[in-house]
Amino acid sequence: MRRKDLLHSVTVTVAVAAALALGLAGCTKAPSSASGAGSTSLASIKVALVPGGPHPYFQPWIQAGADAKKDFGLGGMTFNETAAWDQSKQNDVINTLAANGYNAFGVFGVSPTDINTTFKTLKSSGFAVGSLASCPAGATDDADFCLSTDVETAAYKAGKATIEAMGGSGVLVHLTGNNVDSNTQRRIAGVKKAVAETNGKVTELPDVTDIDTDLTTAQRAVADLLAAKGGTITGIVSTAYNPAVAAATAVKQSGLNIKLVAIDDDPTILAAIKDGSVYATVAQNPVGQAYVGSFVLGQLGSKKCTMKTPGVTVDSGSFIVTKANVTTYDTERQATTKKLKSEFENTLLNCK
Amino acid sequence: MTPETQQHGVVRRVIATPRFFLAIVIIALVIFFGSVKPAFFSGPFVIAPLLTSVAIFTVVGLAQMMVLSIGHMNLAVGQMASFGAMFMGMSYDLWKLPLLVGLGIGLVAGAAVGGLSGWLVARTGVNSFIVTLAMSFALIGLVPTAYSALATGSAFIAKPSGLDVIGRDSFASFCFAGYCGPNAIPIIVVPAIVVMLIVGYLYARTRLGRELLMTGSNVKAATLSGIPTGRRIVLAHALSGLLAALAGFFLASSTGSFTPGIGDEFMLQSFVGPILGGTLLAGGYISVSGTFLGIVLTLLIRKGLDLFGVGIETLNVLLGLILIIALSTDRIRLLARRRSVKRVQQTDALLIEGNPL
Repeated sequence: MRRKDLLHSVTVTVAVAAALALGLAGCTKAPSSASGAGSTSLASIKVALVPGGPHPYFQPWIQAGADAKKDFGLGGMTFNETAAWDQSKQNDVINTLAANGYNAFGVFGVSPTDINTTFKTLKSSGFAVGSLASCPAGATDDADFCLSTDVETAAYKAGKATIEAMGGSGVLVHLTGNNVDSNTQRRIAGVKKAVAETNGKVTELPDVTDIDTDLTTAQRAVADLLAAKGGTITGIVSTAYNPAVAAATAVKQSGLNIKLVAIDDDPTILAAIKDGSVYATVAQNPVGQAYVGSFVLGQLGSKKCTMKTPGVTVDSGSFIVTKANVTTYDTERQATTKKLKSEFENTLLNCK
Repeated sequence: MTPETQQHGVVRRVIATPRFFLAIVIIALVIFFGSVKPAFFSGPFVIAPLLTSVAIFTVVGLAQMMVLSIGHMNLAVGQMASFGAMFMGMSYDLWKLPLLVGLGIGLVAGAAVGGLSGWLVARTGVNSFIVTLAMSFALIGLVPTAYSALATGSAFIAKPSGLDVIGRDSFASFCFAGYCGPNAIPIIVVPAIVVMLIVGYLYARTRLGRELLMTGSNVKAATLSGIPTGRRIVLAHALSGLLAALAGFFLASSTGSFTPGIGDEFMLQSFVGPILGGTLLAGGYISVSGTFLGIVLTLLIRKGLDLFGVGIETLNVLLGLILIIALSTDRIRLLARRRSVKRVQQTDALLIEGNPL
């Protein structure tokens, strides 16, 4: 291309794009300080549940959201998992939902260190915002509330259960997800705390991270681990979904005497608990997060209620499932969901 | 040649470019999305985020275009962004430096790691594909390790004054006499436009730019013409690293913090933008405005599909299909043009053969 043409075409493109954008945009009037705070009906509230990306953990949110819409008379409900585990894509998804009329957001932030910026933007537009299944990193939460598993406590519980199954001594390995996620760092801290309490009776191999992207990656990593160190490992704790499913199958097939504590209640894991090849799992409460979260978003979005303490963190519960309670643990979980709803109604919300 | 013929020639040349085709497709899509989904014209929720993404990914596309201009490629563009951004995060979080100083340090880091790739390519003669692939693996290991060692929760979260203005604010933040600027235009477009103009100027008006293109066209001929091709290769890779780091900065300022995940999504877009815009993979021909339009097209398609609430699997399939159609249509148009030129040439030859004189 001729040089003159090139610069000319860059300048023309920039000018045309700028003119188009300006034409579409126009100027805005400066916002007034007075705010309209009148309450609206729940039917005007459209809740969007936005996970960080596609993951089996979030699938119960779909039904729980639909139930919440019906039970609480919400105007709309959608579940959008197209964020593909990228914070800027998730921001795009949320913005698009806002443009489509959704006005209350339950979000699992992809990046715990970035999600507060997204929450702040949504709040500044007057939307109700809940941080679901994961809280922002640090002490501040710019969402109205966070309803999530306390991941460090859940990992600590899982670590303790594994050590108990190992008989209090041996070699433990921790399988987990994205190393750069601050929640993973919290899980690592939880397991390390449980190991530290054994005063050296349990030694921990280096954490195996970044294997929760998909089941194939997890299966490959677990197969490699068992091939290299299967003879020395006495316990495995998995705090991520795919490694848990992969480890449950691999430990069973290998016939090794390894005690495994998994996470979540995938049918493979529950079947393995029933047949004894997996010692326990730590089930979380995704249904409670989506159902109670949608209820609270409805109350906040309709301006019927406000949070007594904005940004409060509420533990949605974690449940150790063993052979003893594998058929009954869901009752306990449903009771927790009911308790969570009353806790919001009676203690955490300030309603007119 | 009469001025009229000259004018027709210019018009024909403009119509024949991929940029014209892209512009037509973009306009058609804007009209389609806007008419079917009026929410498409929502300033703060659609146009502003779209322009923010366009600004970031145009710089990513330009980073790749730098090395494409010399016939090379940079597979580590995302990791260089992450590496440069890490130094910026360290500057703000650990050393408490002001915005521009930290930005400068990160850009130098990006340019250094890019320059190192270029130096390895120039010194060893190993294909840039291999060198930058190796560089990306090295950085994939290095960057998260450094974050784990230096940052709480694997992220630098300190925000120097002005960072949010660049990444999150729009012209609506600037008010005068009760009226503010448009909320659909984010501030980030300003530095992106400046970068486009600088890169355009480099290739259009400077000897250095011409030497880069000549190196890309034919490295042997360029060397024989006295161009220091080795240094030009290092320069192109260093500029690629610098622009990648700048894109990393833009992304961090728009999302909120500096994390090792910055740049994870850069690689595919970095190629799609320039190639859709007419930049040759073989080198020697670039298009800054084409890169911009290529990026606009891909992001526009994604935004439109998002608005229609398309699910993730369908979204990926449709994005792939639309890009294939866009690329193929452009190729078909090019072949048709070549065929028509050939026909004209054959007609001319027949006329000459038939001429008794």
